[in-house]
Amino acid sequence: MSEPRLDASQRAVLTRLADVLIAEGHGMPSASAVDVAGSLIDRCLDAAPVLAAPLGALLEEGAPEAPEGFARRLAAERPDDFAVLSTAVVGSYYLSGEVRRLIGYPGQQPSPVSVAGEPDYLDMLERVYERYPGYREAP
Amino acid sequence: MQPVLPEVEAASPADGIGKSAADVVIVGAGASGSVAAQRLAAAGVDVVCLEQGDWAHTADYMSAEPEAELAWVQRWNPDPNVRRNLADYPLTGEADIRPVMYNGVGGGLVQWAAMWQPLLASDFKVRSLDGTADDWPIGWDDLAAHYDAVAHDLSVSGLAGDPALPEAGGYPNPPVEIGRVGRSAARGMDRLGWHWWPGANAIASRRHGSLQACQRRGTCMTGCPENAKAIPSLTHWPAALAAGARLVTGARAAQIPLDERGRAVGVVYLDADGAAHLQRASVVMLAANAVGSARLLLLSTSARFPDGLANSSGLLGRRLMQHPYRTVTAVFDEPLESWQGPWGQSIYSLEFAETHPDRDFVRGAKWMVMPHGGPMFAVAEYHEARRQHGFDALWGENFHRAAAEVFGRAFTWGIQAEDLPEDHNRVVLDPAVCDGSGLPTARIEYRMSENSRRMLDFNLARAVEAAEASGAVETLVRGVWPTGIGHVLGTARMGDDPATSVVDRHCRAHDVANLYVIDGGVFVTGGSANPTATIMANARRVADCLLRERAAVEVPG
Repeated sequence: MSEPRLDASQRAVLTRLADVLIAEGHGMPSASAVDVAGSLIDRCLDAAPVLAAPLGALLEEGAPEAPEGFARRLAAERPDDFAVLSTAVVGSYYLSGEVRRLIGYPGQQPSPVSVAGEPDYLDMLERVYERYPGYREAP
Repeated sequence: MQPVLPEVEAASPADGIGKSAADVVIVGAGASGSVAAQRLAAAGVDVVCLEQGDWAHTADYMSAEPEAELAWVQRWNPDPNVRRNLADYPLTGEADIRPVMYNGVGGGLVQWAAMWQPLLASDFKVRSLDGTADDWPIGWDDLAAHYDAVAHDLSVSGLAGDPALPEAGGYPNPPVEIGRVGRSAARGMDRLGWHWWPGANAIASRRHGSLQACQRRGTCMTGCPENAKAIPSLTHWPAALAAGARLVTGARAAQIPLDERGRAVGVVYLDADGAAHLQRASVVMLAANAVGSARLLLLSTSARFPDGLANSSGLLGRRLMQHPYRTVTAVFDEPLESWQGPWGQSIYSLEFAETHPDRDFVRGAKWMVMPHGGPMFAVAEYHEARRQHGFDALWGENFHRAAAEVFGRAFTWGIQAEDLPEDHNRVVLDPAVCDGSGLPTARIEYRMSENSRRMLDFNLARAVEAAEASGAVETLVRGVWPTGIGHVLGTARMGDDPATSVVDRHCRAHDVANLYVIDGGVFVTGGSANPTATIMANARRVADCLLRERAAVEVPG
């Protein structure tokens, strides 16, 4: 992992903004509850370094006292900047092992293919064959 | 702005890889270039291939890591304007759909979904059948044996016998399991009495050739860490290199110089340090995709060809086709494990691929079912469909609705529309923006036609019906994708008449006797099928033509 790309004050702002986007509810934790602004955002920015500079700049201007208003203005008036913030927050949130456990996501894990035996859809394919008029011949 | 071209005279034809004269120099190591290089080298032809990118190594993929979904954000995004690798050139211009591509060994196949779909027999003759666009000078029978041969080389997994296609030689592997996703979609098509068939994919369902068996990770488009998806670095280049082909990476083609008789001398390229080299060859083959090859020809101006090499017809760069694309995501109230792959086509349908007199458009669309990815994809899909509902519906505690309702419970019908050729859709040189080597980049001028809009609207409505017949409790409909799906076709049209085409039926330029274009640029029309099968089959056909007729090819003196 590379050097952390955000300082402490930027992480504090991110924590508040992230909770505006992902609050606790529906049996799921908030962004801050899984510490999105900690190691998860570092992993996210390592994976997608293109986010680091614009996110850092956003966090420099994000008013800590009014995170909700700031996030709403971004969404309404600066969609490209909001996309940077939301991608970073959502991407980091779903790196959390706790979040993955709660939604039943094991990650893109290997699951070997079985090609043994006949497929169980051959009856439906028989019907395709029976009703299809045949391909269109070319001159 | 004048193109900044290297000093050809300064190039040194010194000995060493990539510099000694070759029989054939190929520009581009992607789908078509790889096939041609392997085929020609195996026959004893001395081949040099110039590739502006590098090898994509399996270890570079992020697909086996927890961060796999984040690969889309930048490093393995299909859009060169987002990815911005050193080998990429920016694509500029105001276009309804902007092409995407990968630049490196394997080309777009590094990131393709591996859907193997030959054109329909009718696709080659749409003027004769439907009175629209133009006929190809070749037909399905000219490619049939090559489709079969390339399918074998790519270890395609599929089920022969689709009645919508001419009889073919079958596939070397049984189809990949269609999964809960495919069975669910197939049930809907069965209820409606519509065509469907298990998808054929260049993904090995069992160990075959150079490929390992698919492990269903679902990361096909950001790189298969199991080496189960066919890419030329696995399926073609080992044999080509063993047969003596030379592959030069980091070589950006800049110009095709001519001799006094108007024959191509070879290709001038710039290496990573910006130094110019001339790769001499008896035959030049362009395989840099429909954008890259057109760009190189437009860069190669001369007194004889002031508007671009091989452009006496004025059609070079024109008739760009892209397969406008929309999706319907079907959401179910039962788990489908829909993050699992492969992310090829689980099943496909050609029910609406042909012209029908009752519809207000000509030609048609191909449909294919795909899985739905991980939770980031679920959120993106949910938000795209509900953007108009406002901030509070998507964020805060409502953020979790996306994963709860869509993640793992959805599949996507992709709707791929046949895009008819129009002269105003084209690739030109950008007058102001250059790539990292100082060469003018490609500007895309593309407007989607009314025919394509109507075609997509009709098919989207049918796909919603299909989803509901499958038992979907909800459907999420997306607009036209503003970045394409990597299908770039038709900028160097094939034809018999030099006044209305750039290359002849053997893909040899009408204007330059030893210059060939072998990528998707030669497509006369695009069909609705994923084009890679046809691009590769045609490249193999052209290579065989060259082998048969090479004695007759005029070469520089």
